[in-house]
Amino acid sequence: MSTRIALTRADWLAVILALALLPALYLRYWGDAGPATAVRISASGQPDITVPLSSNRRFTIHGPLGDSVIEIRDGRVRFVSSPCRGKECIHSGWLAHAGELAACLPNGVMVSVLGRDRRYDSINF
Amino acid sequence: MSTTVTTTRHDHRIAWLTALGITIHIAESVLPSPLPGVKPGLANVVTVVALLEYGWATAAWVALLRVLIGSLLIGTFLSPTFILSLAGAVASLTVLRLASWLPGRGFGPVGYCLVAAMAHMAAQFLTAYTVFIPHDGLFHLLPVLMTAAVLFGLVSGAVSHLALQHLRQRGALTP
Amino acid sequence: MNARGSLRRLRSGALLVGGLIILLSLTLCACGRGKDPIHQTEILVFGTLVDITVWGVDDDTAQRGIADVIKALNELHHRWHAWQPGPLTEINARLAKGESIALAPDQIEVIQGAQRLSRESGYLFNPAIGNLIALWGFHADDRPDDVPPPPAGAIERLVAAQPTMDDLRLEGDRLSSVNPAVQLDFGAYVKCYGVDRAIAILRKHGIDNAIVNAGGDLRAIGRKGDRPWRIGIRDPRGTGILASIEVQGDESVFTSGDYERFFIWKGKRYHHIIDPRSGYSPDGAMSATVIYTGPEAGVGGGASTALMVAGPREWLKVVRGMHLVQAMVIGADRTVYLTPTLAKRLHFEGEPTPRVIIGQP
Repeated sequence: MSTRIALTRADWLAVILALALLPALYLRYWGDAGPATAVRISASGQPDITVPLSSNRRFTIHGPLGDSVIEIRDGRVRFVSSPCRGKECIHSGWLAHAGELAACLPNGVMVSVLGRDRRYDSINF
Repeated sequence: MSTTVTTTRHDHRIAWLTALGITIHIAESVLPSPLPGVKPGLANVVTVVALLEYGWATAAWVALLRVLIGSLLIGTFLSPTFILSLAGAVASLTVLRLASWLPGRGFGPVGYCLVAAMAHMAAQFLTAYTVFIPHDGLFHLLPVLMTAAVLFGLVSGAVSHLALQHLRQRGALTP
Repeated sequence: MNARGSLRRLRSGALLVGGLIILLSLTLCACGRGKDPIHQTEILVFGTLVDITVWGVDDDTAQRGIADVIKALNELHHRWHAWQPGPLTEINARLAKGESIALAPDQIEVIQGAQRLSRESGYLFNPAIGNLIALWGFHADDRPDDVPPPPAGAIERLVAAQPTMDDLRLEGDRLSSVNPAVQLDFGAYVKCYGVDRAIAILRKHGIDNAIVNAGGDLRAIGRKGDRPWRIGIRDPRGTGILASIEVQGDESVFTSGDYERFFIWKGKRYHHIIDPRSGYSPDGAMSATVIYTGPEAGVGGGASTALMVAGPREWLKVVRGMHLVQAMVIGADRTVYLTPTLAKRLHFEGEPTPRVIIGQP
């Protein structure tokens, strides 16, 4: 029995375009991660909270399902508890690098680690 | 008076394919994911095999039944995971329909699985962004998610190809 | 191998090569985000530090645009200076004597704009109380801490005279006042006017992406390449950043605060924004910020001043009267009052996160 996998011309075109798309995506969305410096906690319907990654504290975020608790310690951040069923946010574990993120979709809470590119273009006072 | 429902061999095929799809769906649900609920779409194998052997309408039935029953069995019916799976299934079915209109020899199983997987992932991401987390930070995950989609798309394409070859040789698919 | 077979293989090969070329060029395109044509200058002009950021043009164009802006701001500074001898002090002298004076078109434009704004603010923004500002000692570059506040009697007298922009009469190009207590001091209104002029000058030079920031008050047009401009709003009591916001297209961010020009006497802070109704600087708010789109002829300066005077108790009245959509007042207790639209856009930075009250206008 032959086990050769034959690709049609259209198949090849699809493969090539797919492979061309990937590096473009990385360049576009992974552009400016530097050393991790801050944590941003976003919850739907509330203003974002951004704090330095060096702070050692916990945040309790109120979402539609209940409270998600987020802990920042020793330069890392994680979900401690969340009222969702799957607990995938907790399973993401500790985040420590710029660009990493963990999210509790059902409770609408997202935690992202920000890189050093936080310079402001202008300051208002 | 009793009524009998006669099932055809066609129905049997669909049921068999759907059951297979559901199994893969459930197995996939234990995979970890950077964005919870977003899955690479391995079950597309079944959808594409159905497409190539029985046409798009059958593939659509198989895919949608899989999402529905799968979620009922896992217990995620109407949850965010369900909505994401549904969005992914609808998108990949749409793309498969469009792709099947390609003139000439068109796509083989690998091509179909690849475009279906990418459409599946893109739709899940956009749904997560629009409905659940409308935050620009989410885009940081997109390159990883699409890489997984391309990889799993190619793998499921190879699997579909081999499966089709094997099944055709064995005569298991002739109606 | 027959001819058709080899032709087919040739076509497949050509397709492959073509595809690889597409792949390569797409990757290279995404790579081409290398150089960032950004140009930033800081100049002492207009009585303050002016920060001009220009994106997307060559150095020469940027330099020429900025040079013209500096010239224009120097002229404006002299033209509207509230106490150094110049056109405005001349106007004030004549008005105090009950005489009329001929105005140039740009002076008419500023005065009429300020009149309208003053009315819309419920007269909380009142550029006609220059005598009160002078009484408090703010008609000097420095207001020392060891000079006491003016006597209550003097303040009451000036408040009772009730000078407003409505006391002004314009016949043709001649300005006069029915109230000799009117002394014009436009404060942040002219700053806003200056920023708008600067942007117009940059646009004339073909610059469509820039920020002009005059002593903290800014207007940003276009974007920084493929992303919006990131603006930090400073904490009124520290040097840290309280919140940030992304702006693009054409947006202005104007803030009035009690930390800009002030003195402290016997533990109490007195600052240069005077409530025309009481004659004293209000202590309900530490700062007030307004954000709006497009050129609004001095709205920024007038609105932020009025919001400071209104404070947390009356800020929504000003928001309604002046049709503001994005406004923020930071109360003396650090509570942040926001309009709903602004609440959605603002990202608070640092800790602890302030108490936020969203006001429905």
